Amino acid sequence: MSSDNNRPDAGLGERLRKLDASQTPRNAEMMDRMFREMKARCDKSDRSLAGFLRSRSTLARRLIALTVLASLAIIGWFAFPLVGEQGRTLQWMVSLVAFCILLLISMFMVTRPVHLPALPRWQSVCLVCIAVGATVLAAFWPLPAAQAATHDHGSGIIAGACMGAGLLLGVPVYALLRLIDRGNALGSLVAAAAAGVAGNFVLKAHCAVPGTSHELLGHASVAIVFVLGLGLVHRWIPSK
Amino acid sequence: MPSSPPRSEATDEELMEAYIDGDEAAFRLLFERYGPQLLRLTRRHLRDDELAEEIVQQTFFRLHGARNDFRRGSKLRPWVMTIAMNLVREHWRRKKRRKMTTLEVDTQAAPESDFMPLELRQRSELLHVALDKLPTSQREVVELHWFQERPYAEVAEIVGTSEGAVRVRAHRAYATLKQLLVSEISGDE
Repeated sequence: MSSDNNRPDAGLGERLRKLDASQTPRNAEMMDRMFREMKARCDKSDRSLAGFLRSRSTLARRLIALTVLASLAIIGWFAFPLVGEQGRTLQWMVSLVAFCILLLISMFMVTRPVHLPALPRWQSVCLVCIAVGATVLAAFWPLPAAQAATHDHGSGIIAGACMGAGLLLGVPVYALLRLIDRGNALGSLVAAAAAGVAGNFVLKAHCAVPGTSHELLGHASVAIVFVLGLGLVHRWIPSK
Repeated sequence: MPSSPPRSEATDEELMEAYIDGDEAAFRLLFERYGPQLLRLTRRHLRDDELAEEIVQQTFFRLHGARNDFRRGSKLRPWVMTIAMNLVREHWRRKKRRKMTTLEVDTQAAPESDFMPLELRQRSELLHVALDKLPTSQREVVELHWFQERPYAEVAEIVGTSEGAVRVRAHRAYATLKQLLVSEISGDE
């Protein structure tokens, strides 16, 4: 069969050929039915926004994602006040850059072309763990209390408000990544991690409430809720 | 639309390019060329006709979605095979995750029994049992190298590893298959 070296020897080759004879060719009627069903799905998909976006080239999908993410970041950056000048420490900058890098990696993973071998699962799982870990780590680099705006530190309501805002901000990022994902394995979980990171990026840039406990409860929890929530949803309600 | 209708002697790549340009008939021709091959591949892996059909349809659905990534000069076959193998792997991963019971596997194992003569069924079963004993990574290589007749370089491209690694997997897989099937050969004769 194959012209390559290292083929099975004649005995095994003959045996495989004989055993595989049971794989009878399919009839034309069945192939026709399969084609019609598949084509109907293609046509239906083409009429939807997701189908339109997913059928763009990989370069185009990545440019769309980058444009939308950059636009959201720029609008947010200038529309809302950043943390005070004194609060923009090296750790603050490092956190923001790390979140950007994680977002980019997530976007590249989600938009991986389907004609390439799927990435091993551990890579996606690693990225998700690193993303959640980064948000937790960033919480241990909070704004110095002396340099931040004054707030009621003890209030859990503020942490809840931050968490709510972070979750809301992550939703468009999650939706965007799902819309351009052609069906990569664990794509949903990676998109959830990216959404959590995006929410953390905005909160880190704008939230002037100091304290690790606030950042853990109000910021890092966003990524955890996204990943755990969507992870559980996909565990119990697996997609087709 | 292209100026001439797709011809049956056109290459896969020419048909794909015609389809990208809007020629629906070219897509049907591609389906007719690859559909039966993919069905055999997926049936050997999944042993479930309905599921095999679904994966073949899904392969072409994804090919349709990814058509704008196809570049002139690329080979279509590795594309189609990679998409199909990714889907098969994803299917097994999900099955494993759902902790499917042995009973469920057995129920799906011989769907064609009503339509297949006893001798062919037994042969098919023998092959499935032998292939089932191979690790997935080796089984994929045997599937592509032996049954789909693809050269090692192409198999490596499809499974996403080096040609050397593919050769090693093939060598081990054929050695295992020989061990498993040689006793059957002696038994038959």
